Amino acid sequence: MSTFREASHITTGKFVDPTPAPAEAAHPEVGATSAPLKSAAFFIGSYCKDYNEDFMLCKEENNDPAHCLKEGRKVTRCAMDLITKLRENCEKEWEAHYKCLEKHNQEYYACRKPERTFNECVFSKLKLEKVIPGASNTPVHLRENTIYN
Amino acid sequence: MPVPFEALIPLGLITGFFGVSGFFFQKLKTSINEGQPPRYGLDRWDRVMLDRDYRLTGTQRGQTHQTAAPSAFATSSAWNLEKEHL
Repeated sequence: MSTFREASHITTGKFVDPTPAPAEAAHPEVGATSAPLKSAAFFIGSYCKDYNEDFMLCKEENNDPAHCLKEGRKVTRCAMDLITKLRENCEKEWEAHYKCLEKHNQEYYACRKPERTFNECVFSKLKLEKVIPGASNTPVHLRENTIYN
Repeated sequence: MPVPFEALIPLGLITGFFGVSGFFFQKLKTSINEGQPPRYGLDRWDRVMLDRDYRLTGTQRGQTHQTAAPSAFATSSAWNLEKEHL
């Protein structure tokens, strides 16, 4: 059930689950934080589309966390694979873009210039393109002038 | 009639006080946020992601683009407790 709500701001501590970890080994998790993931979001979406859709359809059947562990691991692995590729090929442009995002409350509109260089690098090296689904005219990230349009 | 310079003294004082307090407030905000402006307009997604960033990097606004999370990440999640209201 989705009746969980966050604790109010006045918290009295943290609860760490005392039950021991399960016997099987923990699976690797994505190590990137929020700004790099937001920067690479559209590329993760197009590169890992099949696994992501699989996971979402599985969740649609049954929202229990234990039901979709296998599909979840595939999603994680695909995202880690893309992060490795981005680190090998376009690390500097990626870093420039996400550092710019961090300075501007992680808003895309404020960082179009580093985004353009990053998108060009990814398109030339990894053949991935940022596509905004359902964009009617010129997509907002390709417009030269966003004020008088 | 000459310029009433005495009237400019309180103006200078007020401007000075605004400026000094604004300067220190700005310095305080950027020092808390590690040299960046603070985040605003956060919804639950952003708060959960900020908590995840803290677990991954150890600082409030640190960012990293490593591929795999450190092994301690798997067991470092915690639930915030609030005071009981009886």
